[in-house]
Amino acid sequence: MWKVNEKGEKVFSLGKEAWQEAVEAASVCLHFNLDDDDELVSEEERSCYNCRYRRWIPESFICLK
Amino acid sequence: MRILVSIDDTDNLESRGTGEIASLLAKLLEEREWGKAQVITRHQLLVHPDIPYTSHNSAMCFAAEIKEQHFEEYLQLARQFLATESAPGSDPGLCVIVLEQLKNELELKEFAFKAKKIVLNKEEAYEVAAKTGAYLSEHGGEGIGVIGALAGAGLRLSGNDGRLRGRLKVNAPTGLITSGEIKQQSGVEVVQSTEGQMIADDELIYLGETVKAVMLGGRTTLLVFPNETEDAKWQTCTKNYLKRF
Repeated sequence: MWKVNEKGEKVFSLGKEAWQEAVEAASVCLHFNLDDDDELVSEEERSCYNCRYRRWIPESFICLK
Repeated sequence: MRILVSIDDTDNLESRGTGEIASLLAKLLEEREWGKAQVITRHQLLVHPDIPYTSHNSAMCFAAEIKEQHFEEYLQLARQFLATESAPGSDPGLCVIVLEQLKNELELKEFAFKAKKIVLNKEEAYEVAAKTGAYLSEHGGEGIGVIGALAGAGLRLSGNDGRLRGRLKVNAPTGLITSGEIKQQSGVEVVQSTEGQMIADDELIYLGETVKAVMLGGRTTLLVFPNETEDAKWQTCTKNYLKRF
């Protein structure tokens, strides 16, 4: 589910449409922090896609924690 | 006079978001009774490795009516506010446009839509600002937020970009409500399908968890799509669908 890029950053390897997997990843994450309402994209609230510590990149997101 | 106020890159990972700063800037105007602000829109810009955004690279913009005698004072106040309230490590930019003084509108819109597709630099932003008469200023860090701030203003001006900050306030205990009632309660101007069909005021809509509007054709618009149950022909869009705006 995760890979490390050339900068040593943790990249979600399943892209921007892996809704269930992003929920599963967030369910076991100790750092999950819901972002502002205007930045939420997943219907399931606790999802890495809705986390304040995800930084969107063209193909996916980087986890900053 | 009518103005646009647009900001970008005011936050860091732990701070309040740019949307909240925009909301406070609107409040500054209204609390002093200098003018009246309209809705805040969020505009998605390019996500690219060469752009040092915090997490999503979006600008926030609002339109307002302001009494002419207070414009200069408000401009100074907004600049000062952004300088003091932006988060450490951010690169805040502010753009204020007086619509009655705007020149080369097309060039501004072109710049704005380019900012959604290619990497732009500060020099290009200042060049367009000079040609259009936009007040563009940096308030800390590298100041690269001026690019997004100018783009945000151009995108708002286009009337065809962005989603409104916050959720629409609609009270429908059963989850079912007519299009007309939604407009009356929330102030949204248009209810239309994702395919562009206008929804008549007496048509029923099933409200999902997210009731958010977008800016289309210069009007605040609630988008709906066909609902498969018999209760209502339409339902509101998901967050996932709305992220394209």
